[in-house]
Amino acid sequence: MAEATVQSGAPQKRRSRGLSEKGLAFWMVTPSMVLIALVAAYPIIYAIWLSLHEYSVRTAGLSRWAGPFGLRNYTTALGNSEFWDAMFTTLIFTASSVFLELVIGLAMALAMHAAFKGQGLLRTVVLVPWAILTVVTAIMWRTIFESPQGFVNQIVGGDTVWLGSEPQALIVIIIADVWKTAPFMALLILAGLQVIPGDIYEAAKVDGATAWQRFRKITLPLLTPAILVALIFRTLDALRIFDLPYVLTKGANGTTTLSLVAQQTFAENRIYGLGAAYSILTFITVMIVSFTYIWTVGGNIRGLAED
Amino acid sequence: MTKRLILMLCAALLCGVFVAACGGDDSGGGGGGGGGGSSESGATEGAKVIDPSLAENAKGEVTYCQGKDTSGNAHYMIEQFNKKYGPDLKAKLVEFPASADEQRNQFIQRQQAKSGDCDVFSSDVIWTAEFASQKWLYDMTPYMKDKKDQYIEAPVETVTYDGKIWGVPESSDAGLLYYNTDKVKSIPSTWQEVYSQAEKKGGIVYQGAAYEGLTCDFLELFFGAGGEVLSKDGTKSTFADGDAGVKALSFMVDGVKNGAAPKAVTTYMEPESLTAFQTGKYAYMRNWPYAYALNKKAAKVKGNFDVGPQPTFEGGEKAGILGGHNSVISVYSKNPGGALKLIEHIGSPEIQKAYAAQFSLSPVRADVYDDPDVQKAIPFANALRDGITQARARPVSPVYPQISQAIYKNVNAALSGQTSPEDAIKQANADIEKALQTF
Repeated sequence: MAEATVQSGAPQKRRSRGLSEKGLAFWMVTPSMVLIALVAAYPIIYAIWLSLHEYSVRTAGLSRWAGPFGLRNYTTALGNSEFWDAMFTTLIFTASSVFLELVIGLAMALAMHAAFKGQGLLRTVVLVPWAILTVVTAIMWRTIFESPQGFVNQIVGGDTVWLGSEPQALIVIIIADVWKTAPFMALLILAGLQVIPGDIYEAAKVDGATAWQRFRKITLPLLTPAILVALIFRTLDALRIFDLPYVLTKGANGTTTLSLVAQQTFAENRIYGLGAAYSILTFITVMIVSFTYIWTVGGNIRGLAED
Repeated sequence: MTKRLILMLCAALLCGVFVAACGGDDSGGGGGGGGGGSSESGATEGAKVIDPSLAENAKGEVTYCQGKDTSGNAHYMIEQFNKKYGPDLKAKLVEFPASADEQRNQFIQRQQAKSGDCDVFSSDVIWTAEFASQKWLYDMTPYMKDKKDQYIEAPVETVTYDGKIWGVPESSDAGLLYYNTDKVKSIPSTWQEVYSQAEKKGGIVYQGAAYEGLTCDFLELFFGAGGEVLSKDGTKSTFADGDAGVKALSFMVDGVKNGAAPKAVTTYMEPESLTAFQTGKYAYMRNWPYAYALNKKAAKVKGNFDVGPQPTFEGGEKAGILGGHNSVISVYSKNPGGALKLIEHIGSPEIQKAYAAQFSLSPVRADVYDDPDVQKAIPFANALRDGITQARARPVSPVYPQISQAIYKNVNAALSGQTSPEDAIKQANADIEKALQTF
C-alpha cells in the first residue's frame, strides 16, 4: 500500500523502476521468439544456405559457391527428369490418397458421430491403424501383397507381382496410406461435427428437410472449415510421403517421390547442396498447393465467418 | 476464421520445412566442415600415414566401434584383448545400430565432428574409398606391406584405393549358390546350365529388388562375363564397353521371362528369397553364407540342401561378390598405437579361428579354413573359401552409392520389363558417367 502511494506520487520513477507495458510484452515474447529462431528459423536458413553451395564428395572439406547466383543446384534439380517424374508421382499419390481419405474419413466420422451403443468402442477401433507405426504398416501391406503367396493373390488367384509392376506398386502405396490415415481425417471431421448445434437439425426437420437435404445444406457447409483444416494437414503430409515407398519399393516401378529423391541425394549420396535444393523445392511445392487451397476454398469460409 | 486458418497453415508449413531442413541438418554440418582449404588434386594426397612402430609401447584405452554385436563376437574379441594386454592397454566396445546405413551415418557424424570416439571402426567393404577420400582414415600401407600375403587377396582388394591400403580385413562374406538336393544333385559348371536346370526343376531365386543386393547379384554375372565397371584409375565408366553388360542382363531378363526365376524376384531382398527357397519349391538360391544356418532350421529344406561357390559364366570366368568388414583407424584417434595393437589382435590366427568356429564369421586368412575346429563348425568351409577366393570387390570409388544406384535401378527396370537390356545398360553407363562427374 505504501509503495503504491510512493509510486503514484512519482510516476517518472515508476517507469524507470518497472517495465512499461510494451517493454513487458517484449520480454515475455522474447523467449518464444528465441526458441522459434533456434528450432525453426535456423534450420530453414541453414538448408537454404546449403542449397546455394556445392560440397565435394571426393575431396575432404572442399566446398564452393554453386555457380551463377548460387542457383546451379536448382537448375540441376529442375533439369533432372528424375525430379519431374518424382513430382508427377508425388502429385498423383497426393491427389488420390487425400481424396480417398476424405471420402472414407467423412463416412467414418458420420458413423462415429451417430449415437448408438458401442460408440466408444467404434471410435477406439477406428483409430487403431492411425496408431500403428508407418514402417510397420508398410511391412504389413508388403506381406499382404506379396507374390505369389501373399494374401491378395491367394484370394484373387492371380500371380500379379504387385510391388514389381507399374502402376500396381503405386496403388499399393496409396491403399496403405489411405488405410493408415483415413482415421486421422475422420477424427478431425468428427471434431467439426460435434460443434454443429443440434437445434439446427431440429429446425430443419420441422421444416420437412430430408436426411440428404440436411446433410447437403447443413452438415457439409458447417463442416467446411474442419474439412479444410483436415485437407491441408493431410495434403502437406502426403506431399512429403517418404516411409511407405521407402519400405515397400525403395522407389522402384514409378514410386519415387520428392522426399525419396531428396533423401537419396542428401543422405545416401551425400551431395548436400543438391539434396538441400530438392528439399527446398519440395517445400515450395507444398506451399503453392496449400495457398491454392486457401484461395479456392477460403472464400467459402470467409462467407461463413461473416454470418 | 480465415486468419486462424492462415496461422495454422503457416505453422504446418513451418513444420514441413523444419522436417526437411532437419534432414538436411543431421549430417550437413560437416559437408564443408573440413576447413575448405585443401586443393582438388589427388583424392587421398596428404592423408596421415600410420607408423607401425607406434604399436610397440601402446598404452591407455582404445575404442572399437561396430554395428550391433548380435552374435557376440566383438565382446569375445575385446575380452581376449583385455586379458592379453590389460591393465596397461584396454579396449572398449561401442555398438552402433544393426542397420548398415545407420552405422555409416554414425561414423560419418563422428568424423565430421572430428571426434576421437572411435579409434577403430569396423567398416563395410564398400565404404573404404569414400572414407579414405574424405581423409578420415589412416593410410595403413606401411603396416600391411609385409602382412598382405597372410590374407586372401580379394578382401585386401576391398581396402585398396588410390594405390594405398586403408585398413585390415576383419571378416569376409561372399555370394554363394544354394541348391535343393531333391531337385538337383550338384551345381553344374556354368550359370547357363544352372538356369536351364532351374527352368525345369522349380526355379532359382535371388535378390532382384531395386537395392544394393541387386547390384551384387548383377555384378556377379557381369564380372563373370568379363565386364568391368570402372577404368583402372577409377575415372571413367567402362560399364557399356564390350558386350558383358548386355550379355549378363539379357541372361537375367530371359531367366525371368522363361520362368527360370519367378517374376516376383524383382521384389525380393535377402529375407524374401530365403523364405521362398525354404518352401522347398525352388531348385537354387543365390544368397550369403548366413543363410546356411537358417536353412538348417527350416523344416522343408534342412535335410536336403547344399551350397557351393558360383559357377562360371559361359565363355567367361567364375566370380562372386565380396562382402564383409575391414578394421580402419580414424585419423582423430588419440591412441593410434593402441588401435594398431587392437587391429593386430583381430587379425591374429586365434581370433580369426574363434570368429569362424564360434561365431560363423568367414575368416579372411586362408589357413584358418583348414583348421579342424573350423571345418567342424562350418561344414561348408571349403565352398566358402572357394567362394571368397574367386569373389570380386565391388567398384572402389568415393561415389560408390551413386554407382550402385545406377546399376540396381536400371537392372531392376529391365527385369520388370520396363526397358530393354540394351537400353538399361546404356542408361546405367550414362548414370555412372554422371556419378563420376560429381564435384
